[in-house]
Amino acid sequence: MHRFITLYLCILLSQWALAGNNIIEIEIKNHLFNPAEIYVPANQKIKLLVKNSDDSPEEFESYELNREKIIMGNSKTVIFIGPLRPGKYPFFGEFNPKTAQGLVIAE
Amino acid sequence: MLLNAVIIILREVLEAALLISVLLAISHSINLRLGWLKTATIIGIAGAFIYQYNLESISSAFDYVGQEITNAMLQIMLFVFLAITVINLQARKSAQQLLMIKAGMSCAVSLAIIREGSEIIIYLGSFLHNEKYLLNVAIGGLIGAGIGLSLGTLTYFGLRNTTHPYLNILRKLLLAIIAAAMLSQSVQLLIQADWLPAQHALWDTSRWLNEDSVTGQLLYAIAGYEATPTPLQAASYIFGLLTIGLLDFFRQQRTRASRHA
Repeated sequence: MHRFITLYLCILLSQWALAGNNIIEIEIKNHLFNPAEIYVPANQKIKLLVKNSDDSPEEFESYELNREKIIMGNSKTVIFIGPLRPGKYPFFGEFNPKTAQGLVIAE
Repeated sequence: MLLNAVIIILREVLEAALLISVLLAISHSINLRLGWLKTATIIGIAGAFIYQYNLESISSAFDYVGQEITNAMLQIMLFVFLAITVINLQARKSAQQLLMIKAGMSCAVSLAIIREGSEIIIYLGSFLHNEKYLLNVAIGGLIGAGIGLSLGTLTYFGLRNTTHPYLNILRKLLLAIIAAAMLSQSVQLLIQADWLPAQHALWDTSRWLNEDSVTGQLLYAIAGYEATPTPLQAASYIFGLLTIGLLDFFRQQRTRASRHA
């Protein structure tokens, strides 16, 4: 019984471990995302390290990814996305949507 | 930039305005004075300034997911206070119930203003040193706020002047839906922070109703519509509705029982 519970907990907790190898860095500079297109493995949790090199805050937002977060000027943050089915998932900087556009491509 | 400012401020104002207009309509229907709203507005605005001022240090807490955790806690508390409001809206209200209603509504509005207000302050504040766009953003913001407040006013008068045999139940149901939306949004934030497990989306209704459309945005503001929710999000929404429904039901039973006793 105890072994079963331990095994179940291990499987449950392994969800948190899955993003370990999938860390992708994005920089916001001059209201642009760099890189603007990021390729990620499908069906896995991904950890995005977003660094805002501008002085003004930006809001990382995506309807398709269901993510929304304010990143203050000259600071960095962590956003988890996925697991994503294969496809294209656009994101944008809400405070500067004309320039800050990006795409997550899961394959 | 002006149009962008309109949209951003409109979205933030709308979420708070819709909640406030529903609560105001209920407050009017039970002849409450507006002290609860005045207090809530002052606390909300003060809280919004405090929150945005500290956002940088909050954001880097908990391994850079402090913002999600704080917002999720705000949303959960919003759910709780709206639930308290709903279950105390019984047919015959005791003095204690009226107090709970006022407290619930006041706290809910404070939290909503803190959440939306802080984003507005951050957005507008980021242009204070940007002379090129400052005027555009200020005008756009005023227009956006104006539209949001207008929609809120429309909602208020619509709810207030509707005569329907089941109006009380409808209003409570509307509050319950808003509360459930808060709860599922908090779950989404915790998933974003990796404090809750991530899952594939349960369904994708973006073909029928895109979150980016006007209807989609309105439905998101009032009911928390999501085109691609995860099973956990959907479950928390249903859980929120059921919890409030059951608590309300049991509260009604207790009131009825104590009256016949």
